[in-house]
Amino acid sequence: MLETKGVTIKFGGLTAVNHVDMKVRANKITGLIGPNGAGKTTFFNCISGVYTPNEGQVLFNGKNIEGMKPYQICNAGISRTYQVINLFWKMSAIENVMVGMHPRLKSGFLTDLIKTPAVRAEEKMVREKAYEWLKFVGLEKYADDPSGSLSYGGQRLLEIVRGLASDSKILLLDEPAAGMNTKEKAEFDELLQKILEKGVTILMIEHDMKLVMNICDYLYVLEYGKLLAHGTPEEIQNHPEVIRAYLGGE
Amino acid sequence: MKLQKNKLTALILIMIAMLLPLIFSGSSYFVLIFCFIEIYIIGVSGLDILFGYCGQVSLGHAAFYAIGAYGSVLLHKYTGMPVLVTMIIGSALGAVVGAIVAYSCSKLVFHFLSLATQAVGEIIYILVSHSPNNVTGNYVGMYTDPVNLFGFKLDSEYKFFYFALGCVVIFLLAKQFLVNSKTGRAFTAIRENVHAADGMGINVRAYKVKAFATSAFYTAFAGAMFAHLVEYVSPDSFLYKQSVMFLTMLLFGGSGSLLGPILGASAVLLVNESLRSLQDYQMLVYGIMMLIVIVVMPGGIFGLGKGVMAKIKNKKLNGGEANA
Repeated sequence: MLETKGVTIKFGGLTAVNHVDMKVRANKITGLIGPNGAGKTTFFNCISGVYTPNEGQVLFNGKNIEGMKPYQICNAGISRTYQVINLFWKMSAIENVMVGMHPRLKSGFLTDLIKTPAVRAEEKMVREKAYEWLKFVGLEKYADDPSGSLSYGGQRLLEIVRGLASDSKILLLDEPAAGMNTKEKAEFDELLQKILEKGVTILMIEHDMKLVMNICDYLYVLEYGKLLAHGTPEEIQNHPEVIRAYLGGE
Repeated sequence: MKLQKNKLTALILIMIAMLLPLIFSGSSYFVLIFCFIEIYIIGVSGLDILFGYCGQVSLGHAAFYAIGAYGSVLLHKYTGMPVLVTMIIGSALGAVVGAIVAYSCSKLVFHFLSLATQAVGEIIYILVSHSPNNVTGNYVGMYTDPVNLFGFKLDSEYKFFYFALGCVVIFLLAKQFLVNSKTGRAFTAIRENVHAADGMGINVRAYKVKAFATSAFYTAFAGAMFAHLVEYVSPDSFLYKQSVMFLTMLLFGGSGSLLGPILGASAVLLVNESLRSLQDYQMLVYGIMMLIVIVVMPGGIFGLGKGVMAKIKNKKLNGGEANA
């Protein structure tokens, strides 16, 4: 579904991501792990268009998307969340989701200006659908609260649902469980399964090994920008290189 | 229910506004000031779309004010088209210039953007005061005709007041529609977080261009109204301090709201007029007003009022609970 071939990005003399090949299979959860500074988020940024790779290709459903702008990539069907929560703080939770639906709305500037009946109907539909999305993650109580007033876990969920609202085919999650407590993590596991049921593929960066080993179908390990290993969670757990990278030793 | 209440409030406000000239019918001076307030409401609302909703600062809105005014006056003079038509063409011209500025400045933020827009303001000022072949009358300025509404000449302040009131209603209604739509949400998203907006599929550059163009259209239309109200244009009306005036009004009234520009334009203009005899100290008063806004009420009059209302509501709620 999503495939990278030899993706490389350099910042000056530093090669942050070095010839990474990756295949994300449809309707599966693929995990991307690695020590801090391994280039995981930078790699995400290459996929989502924040950076243009110096070399290599990013293919989405067989089409090259490297070098496209972030908004074009979102329109193509890839949405993402951020390591540092990037919500529209002063907008209400429901408005955040409504912004997420932006690429799928048909109204244009001039029709918005005079509020044609078509726009009126679409706005009504958008509000209802956004409310449905909030219900999906259990945030409907906070629909009209400013997103900045939500709890940390709530903000994470809102960011995920904002990404989903664009009817994306693939969701990139950058450390979605950071800052969640044990109970929230268990609920998060269920949520990911529900997202898969909707036919959305997930690629996630995560540091919580227990969570990763439990829910991911396939794992990629990055170290110093290079792909260290890939395989099923069991294979990765017993991979000598991975153990070395995480625990140190010769 | 809430919407109905808003509609009712708006209707009452319009009714009161319609009565104003009758109350002050003895003094055409006051009616003239009300006309100016209406003009500024449209101009400042334009800036609000750009600054209050889309978060892009402009210190050069006098440029669009000038383009609307001169565009309309010159077109009327050299082609003889009816004034209302030239006003709309002049405003459209302002929107085009706004779009060009936005397209080239779309990567600039905060102080860089304010410097760039300030430069645009200066360019337009130089252009109208040193025009080729003296087409704009340069520093002398030029006289023009009043608005002609299908053969009905708006040659008095009273007539103009009602025409301007109609314009205010149309422009504010369109603004409300716009900011509560998909486009308006995209504007606010850009204000709140450019990177996230980009990631959510919003073409940031295109929406910045749209915000700039709409904003410029509003302010240019206000400029055209101004020109045909006083029936005379000269570069003096489009100095840098005009841009500052728009921004002061917006900040004083409260940005990102419907009422903010109305309150701000009225308050600043009334203060301004009452200090007419102390002209040299006008800038001082602006400075003090700006300071008050920044220090005491960052949300402007509107924000202050909203805060007070919320407090009263809270007290009522708490009081109610205590009684029960």
